[in-house]
Amino acid sequence: MSIAASLKHAARWGGLTLLLSLPLSGWMLNGYQVTTTWHRPLWLAGGVFVGTLLAMALARLLEMPPLRKLRWRMQTKITVTRRPALPAWEWGVLLTIAATLPLWLSTYWLNVMILALIYAVLGLGLNIVVGLAGLLDLGYVAFYAVGAYGYALGSQYLGLGFWTALPFCALLAATFGTVLGFPVLRMRGDYLAIVTLGFGEIIRLLLNNGTEITGGPNGLPAPAPTLFGLELTRVAGQGGTPWHTFFNVTYNPNLRAVVIYMVLLAFLALLFFCVGRLQRMPIGRAWEALREDEIACRSLGINHVTVKLSAFAMGAAIGGIGGVFFAAAQGFVNPTSFTFFESALILAVVVLGGLGSSGGVVVAALVINILHELLREFSDYRVLVFGMAMVVMMIWRPRGLLSMRRQFFAVGKNL
Amino acid sequence: MSGRYGLILSVLSFVFGTLAFVAVADGAEAIRIGVAGPLSGSYAAFGEQLWRGAEQAAKDINAAGGIHGRTIELIKADDACEPKQAVNVAHRLVDAEHVKAVIGHFCSSSTIPASVVYTEAGILGITPASTNPKVTERNLPTFFRTCGRDDQQGGAGAEFIVNHLKAKRVAVVHDKDTYGQGLADAMKARLHGLGVREVLYEGLTRGEKDFNALVTKIKSQLADVVYFGGLHAEAGVLVRQMREQGLQAPLISGDGIVSQEFVASAGGPRFVEGVFMTFGRDARKIYGGRHVVEAFRKVGYEPEGYTLYSYATLQAIAAAMRATRSEQGDVLAKWLHANTVETVMGPKAWDAKGDLKVTDYVMYRWTPDGKYQEVE
Amino acid sequence: MNGYIVGQQVINGLVLGAIYGLIAVGYTMVYGIMGMINFAHGDIYMISAYLAAIFLALLTGAGVQSVPVALVLVLALTILFTAFYGWTVERVAYRPLRNSNRLAPLISAIGVSLILQNYVRISQGARNQGIPALIEGHVRVNAADGVTIGQVTYTQILIVSAALLSMGALAWIMRHTTLGRSCRATQQDRVMAELLGINTDHIIATVFIMGAAMAAVAGLLVTLNYGSFDFFIGFVVGIKAFTAAVLGGIGSLPGAMLGGVILGLCESLFSGFVNTDYKDVFAFAVLILVLVVRPSGLLGHPEVEKV
Repeated sequence: MSIAASLKHAARWGGLTLLLSLPLSGWMLNGYQVTTTWHRPLWLAGGVFVGTLLAMALARLLEMPPLRKLRWRMQTKITVTRRPALPAWEWGVLLTIAATLPLWLSTYWLNVMILALIYAVLGLGLNIVVGLAGLLDLGYVAFYAVGAYGYALGSQYLGLGFWTALPFCALLAATFGTVLGFPVLRMRGDYLAIVTLGFGEIIRLLLNNGTEITGGPNGLPAPAPTLFGLELTRVAGQGGTPWHTFFNVTYNPNLRAVVIYMVLLAFLALLFFCVGRLQRMPIGRAWEALREDEIACRSLGINHVTVKLSAFAMGAAIGGIGGVFFAAAQGFVNPTSFTFFESALILAVVVLGGLGSSGGVVVAALVINILHELLREFSDYRVLVFGMAMVVMMIWRPRGLLSMRRQFFAVGKNL
Repeated sequence: MSGRYGLILSVLSFVFGTLAFVAVADGAEAIRIGVAGPLSGSYAAFGEQLWRGAEQAAKDINAAGGIHGRTIELIKADDACEPKQAVNVAHRLVDAEHVKAVIGHFCSSSTIPASVVYTEAGILGITPASTNPKVTERNLPTFFRTCGRDDQQGGAGAEFIVNHLKAKRVAVVHDKDTYGQGLADAMKARLHGLGVREVLYEGLTRGEKDFNALVTKIKSQLADVVYFGGLHAEAGVLVRQMREQGLQAPLISGDGIVSQEFVASAGGPRFVEGVFMTFGRDARKIYGGRHVVEAFRKVGYEPEGYTLYSYATLQAIAAAMRATRSEQGDVLAKWLHANTVETVMGPKAWDAKGDLKVTDYVMYRWTPDGKYQEVE
Repeated sequence: MNGYIVGQQVINGLVLGAIYGLIAVGYTMVYGIMGMINFAHGDIYMISAYLAAIFLALLTGAGVQSVPVALVLVLALTILFTAFYGWTVERVAYRPLRNSNRLAPLISAIGVSLILQNYVRISQGARNQGIPALIEGHVRVNAADGVTIGQVTYTQILIVSAALLSMGALAWIMRHTTLGRSCRATQQDRVMAELLGINTDHIIATVFIMGAAMAAVAGLLVTLNYGSFDFFIGFVVGIKAFTAAVLGGIGSLPGAMLGGVILGLCESLFSGFVNTDYKDVFAFAVLILVLVVRPSGLLGHPEVEKV
């Protein structure tokens, strides 16, 4: 595009912005009157004009020969390869770096990392349902809530500890997933989406309204995890001995976060490995096949109900475990953490990461959470910028950050 | 190395790089004090009250020479009234911003988890606005509040209903939130103590605008008083729909509607006429606060609701720091427990739990011109 | 008294249902033509409420005294600008994603929703805003024996009639005009429609404009009815309206209205006779039950799968 054409193009968008923002920014409501603030639409239009020019210049730059190759490489596409995404030693290095983070991160950033890892776990769980099995679930937060509340309620009424809560809540959430799954799996595509959304809302409302049991809007306390029977709090609350008393060291309030982080990291690594394996097992192949063509699958004798249910239950179980970690890390649970927006955020992690790509989901969870925290500096504009980033990311990389990889089987030559 | 590796590694290096950068960044000479509240989300108007109050107080204290020559620097922290974010910003204030004291948060549901973080870190925290009893009922040695408690406030409401309005059929409505439901429950408990039972106790959903079905139900129960535990956005719509359906029973609420926005959300001053609410004695009328109020009005800001509470909170923190020459939470807390602070809202002193020794909930009545006035 | 309560609750439900229906139309049209959930639609409705209040304030400031004249002008201006917003959203956030995977537009829509909410919050403030009560008064509805069974305000009558009227107009456009035929063709098979010479980009843009226009009608009338709004109102109403659209069978215009009315009645009757706390639980439970029995909604066409 010539410079004149570019200017014209940018001017057009600037003009549109001026017109569009004129009423909403040009006047400010003040009671039943308005105050005139015409400088604001002008600034906005100017910003869009300059922004469009810059974006076009950048696009032009990316067309240049050396960069074009790079751009081609960066494009997300499903790759079929024999090599694993990262060789074993690289995994080792990554895990070691991740495991040493608590040594030099402040509690604040450690907590951010814990949240990011929880989102990674949730993302991996939802990825099974949405990415692999192709079932759009907008109420994934329900299973997350079941896990979190399962732990909080379990510790309060049944004396459940963190370690027993992990399998217990996974099972509980899986049961919820199966119960929901049976009726809804007849539905297709977006009907499923709205039913799961409704289910998520129902769970949240029940938690909020059942004040006698769940504490209603006040929520419930959730105990910190124990480590080999030793408690990580300043004062023993669960009938055990605090860690620092046992080893006779001074109390370190970070310990709780460090332990949760390490356990979470280990679990995430295990989950990552398992999901990779699942994908290559018959059940994983069946999920993907069913996503691509349900009729063909059924005619080939795949039981679509069990296959879908297994994906749903598996995703739910992982969501439940994520909930247990969340409750343990926060120290308490309350219904506002389980709104529809949370479901949308987890879905954003999955889609931004790249549907079906486990590595991408983990990276996206890290990027979203850290970005969200870094943007705190901009306080007023934080959510605005976050929304823009979502739109821009989708336009720039509609298939997500990392593409899905599929390893092929090498069939023996003498077969 | 393929493009794929490059992308993974560049993303990871971005992640770790920023972490490293943030982990190292530090340094401060001024006394840093955090102001945490909902600066975004649907409660943002209250967050603005907290911020404006603290901002003006900091300006005035700094202009008067600061604290032993050191200025106060305020750090904004947005929790959007969401507990998860509240814990996050609490950690940020403590670890990344190294604040010495915190003013906040606004919503009780945020204050409760966040106060644990401050206490663990040994930092003084004072909330100007969270009225839920649980805030100070958990033995947190360094956490205080400069407002009343919902059990006091609900009690004041119940006594007004029974003794003043002589109501027999009371409908209790709340917004299913920590603050609103807590207030309604406290009111209900006192009401039972006074020998009156409610005819209806239900929760509406925050963010909705249509309470017509609920209003019809209240009407069918022949309620002669409606008590609402919640915030102005819902209270305004509720009272308007009550009036539109011809239900003239007075509405009584708490400090969640102390904002001109209540008039806006009711759709005009004539709908709010006759609405009662409990709130602390109007800080704008207290003598010592007059010049502060003038300063706010000069910049076109009406210091309503919790603005002056926030101002007073910073005054209390500054007074403690000045007197003790310390920034340690336990030292400051000890001083605040023992002394009385002269604030813009009059003298304030705290009991062992961190509650105010004297809380003066009085009843206000909204007038036809969209203002509120103390009921004699 | 009892007859009064039932009658009044039915009226409450019908009015609420009409509001849901008006907004649900936007969801159902976009879904029908593009197969995507336009999560930003609720926020388009929110924008229209702000626009209506601003235009009303401007006209009052300019000295327009007559209420009907002011309302008609405000309605026209609000529809114009809201439609403009609808078009822009489609152009900027959805058109570039036309041929990518099914979920990309969904995430983009969530992003747009955040942008619109925060744009309004920053430019208009987080405060509750309101518009004055312009239309006063109500009529009593009497049963045959002269007993009052409820009352309806004029604004509520306006809402229901506007909902019916615009729904009728929309149905007529879809059935009898070239534009409507092109819409339906695009809905059935986009590629084929394109091959037949229909500019599907235009059609999709038009659908967004029409959906936004309906949201604008809702925005003005609902704001008149409730008197107040803030930058967050789009969310709750959006989810309910979307539920209504699915309940009625997404893609079907009469379905959106029917779904809205059923949802509104469910809410108000359950709230009135059982419990307000659980009305949304009940509404969503009804949705799930209906979809279990009729997986394509009440008036939706069951999709025939072909191999």
